[in-house]
Amino acid sequence: MLQIKPILSTLMRNKSGPILLLIQIILSVSIVANASFIISERIDLMSRDSGLAESEVFDFRVYNFNPETDYGAQNGRDMTTLRNLPGVIGATSTSMTPLSGGGWMSVFTLGESEETAKETEGAAIYYGDEQMLKTLGVKLIAGRNFFEEEILQGSPNQANLGIVSQAFAKATWGDEPAVGQVFYAADFGQEPVEIIGVVETLQGAWVNNSSLENSVILNVELAFPFTKFLVRAEEGTLAQLKEAIPAALHRDNRERVVSGFKLISEHRKSAYRNHELMATVLSMMVILLLLITSLGLAGMVMFNIERRTKQIGTRRALGAKKRDIISFFLVENYIICIVGGVIGALVAVQLGQQLMSLYSLPQLELIYPLSTVAGLIVLTTIAVILPARKAARISPAIATRSV
Amino acid sequence: MLSMKNISKVFKTDLVETHALREFNLEVNEGEFVAVTGPSGSGKTTFLNIAGLLEGFTQGDYFLDGVNISNLSDNKSAAIRNEKIGFIFQGFNLIPDLNLAENVEVPLRYRGFNAKERKRRVQHALEQVGLAARMKHLPSQLSGGQQQRVAIARALAGEPRFLLADEPTGNLDSMMARQVMELLEEINKAGTTIIMVTHDPELARRAQRNIQIVDGQVCDFTMYQGGERTIEKPHLVTGSQEPSNQDKVAS
Repeated sequence: MLQIKPILSTLMRNKSGPILLLIQIILSVSIVANASFIISERIDLMSRDSGLAESEVFDFRVYNFNPETDYGAQNGRDMTTLRNLPGVIGATSTSMTPLSGGGWMSVFTLGESEETAKETEGAAIYYGDEQMLKTLGVKLIAGRNFFEEEILQGSPNQANLGIVSQAFAKATWGDEPAVGQVFYAADFGQEPVEIIGVVETLQGAWVNNSSLENSVILNVELAFPFTKFLVRAEEGTLAQLKEAIPAALHRDNRERVVSGFKLISEHRKSAYRNHELMATVLSMMVILLLLITSLGLAGMVMFNIERRTKQIGTRRALGAKKRDIISFFLVENYIICIVGGVIGALVAVQLGQQLMSLYSLPQLELIYPLSTVAGLIVLTTIAVILPARKAARISPAIATRSV
Repeated sequence: MLSMKNISKVFKTDLVETHALREFNLEVNEGEFVAVTGPSGSGKTTFLNIAGLLEGFTQGDYFLDGVNISNLSDNKSAAIRNEKIGFIFQGFNLIPDLNLAENVEVPLRYRGFNAKERKRRVQHALEQVGLAARMKHLPSQLSGGQQQRVAIARALAGEPRFLLADEPTGNLDSMMARQVMELLEEINKAGTTIIMVTHDPELARRAQRNIQIVDGQVCDFTMYQGGERTIEKPHLVTGSQEPSNQDKVAS
C-alpha cells in the first residue's frame, strides 16, 4: 500500500540526502533531455536520403597538365573510355560531387519582368550530360532526361536546359509544375534555362547548408584542365577500377594525373564526421549521467536500508508484508524522482531556449524532457527494486535484537 | 489462546549447532498475564520471536488463537502479526522521523484502515497512554517512559488479542518502569493477554504466572494472585517421552 504522507514526513525530516539526489536528478534530466534532443537532431540529419546510389558511385579527378590539350575533346574521349570499362554502369564529367563539401552553388532569377524578378533559394549546380541521372542513380519523377545532342561543351554560362530536384521545384514554384518553367542562371533576361525534368531527391555538397536538398543539373560538359568524373559501377568493383581507370586513361594520353577515387558513401562519412562525433560524445555523456544517477539512487537506497535495518524489522514485526517494504522504498524514490524530474524538465526547457539563442539550435521539443522523466522512472524502478528486495528479506526478528 | 507443543529451534552454522529451544511446551490462556524470566541466553527472546511469528521454528506445533502457525506463508504471518499481536520492544523501536501519531498509525496502515478509522484509533490509543496532547511531537522530544507508552499505544491501536512485551521496562528508570507496568496491568485487566519477557523479578511477580526458561526449556511455573505466590507446578507437559527439565524441577 502507498504511504505517501509518512514517506513525505520522513523525507522532510531528513533533507540532505534527498536534496543531493534531487539536484543530481534535476541536472541529469535537464542535460539528458537536451543532449537526447541534439543527438536525435544529428541522427535525423545523418539519416537524410541523398537520393544517390552511394555505395556504387565514386568520383575521381583528372588533371591535364599539357596546356595544348583540347579539354572538351579529351573529356569526350575519356567518357567513352570509362563507359566501355567492364563493371561501369554509367560515367559523366561533373562540376561537383554530392556530399563532398565542395562545388558550385548559386541563386537564380526568375519572374515576368525585370522589375518583378526575384531570386530563388540557393541550389547546388551540377554540370553534366545525359548520363548524369543514370550515374548518380537518382529517380526522375517528372519531365525527361537530357538528350545526347542537347549537351553543350565549354563554358558553364551557355546552359539552356535544366533538371531540378523536387525540393528546389517546390521551393521555387510551389505546387505549379516545374517542367516548362524558366529561370536565368545569371541576371534577369540573360541565359534562360528551361526546366525539362524533376528528380525525386538530389542533395548538394554541403550537409550543414539549409539548402542541401536544392539541386540543379545543367546541360553542359565543362572543358577545363581539371576535370572531375563520377562513375557508377557494380558494387565491390571500386578496387579493380582504381587500377583499370588510370591505366585506360593513360593509354589515351599520358600527360595527366588521375587521382581520388572515393565512394559517395565515404564522402557521406567524412561530411557527417562532426555530427557523428557529437552524437557519440553526447550519447556517452547521457549513458554516463544515467549510470551516475542510477548509482546515486541505488546507493541512497542501500544507505537507507543500512540505516533503517531495525526500522524495517520493526515494520515487518508490525505487519508489513515484503511488498510493503519494497513499495516503501519505491514510493520514496519515485517522489524524489518525480519532483526532480518535473523541476529538471523545466530547467531543460530553459536550457534549451538558451542553447537555441546561443547556438542556433532548434527549439527543444517537449517530448524529450517528458521521455527523459519517463525513462528516469523506469531507471528508478530498476535501481531501487534490487536493494529494496534485499530490504524486504530483513527478518522481523531483528526488531527484538538490542543492537 | 497460545499453545506450543514440543517446539524446538536450532540455529546451525558450518561448525556449530545451537539448540535455542528444546521440546518447549507452553499454553497461555486468554486474558492471562504471563511473565517469562530466565538468564541471558536461555532462549527467552527466541521464544518471544517464535510466539510473535517473528521467526520460524525447527520442530513442533504452535497454535495461536486456533490457527496452526506451522508452514504459514510470509504474507499470512505478517497479517496475523498485524491483526492479532501487539509488540512492545525493549528499545521502543519508534520510527524517529515520524511523529507520535504517525508512529501509532504504522500498523494501522498495513491493516488497510481508511484515514478516518486510523485517526480515530490513533487518538484513542494515545489517550489510553495519556499522550494524546503530544501526538505531533517526535519521539526524540519525549522521555524514555513516554516513548515506551507511545510504543504501547502503537501495540494497542490495532486492538490485538495479545501483547508480547520484550523487556518493556529494560531501558527505563524505576519510576518510569512502574508507570509502564501499571499501564500493562490495566491493559490486561481490560482483557488483553500479555506475555512479558523480563529480567526483573519484582516486575515478574506482578504477573499472574511466571515461567522460567533455562537452556531452552521451561523449568519452572509459579502462579501469583495479588502478588502472593499460590501455586508452583508445571503448567503443561506434553509430547515428551523423557522427563523434561520442568518435570525434574517439579518432582
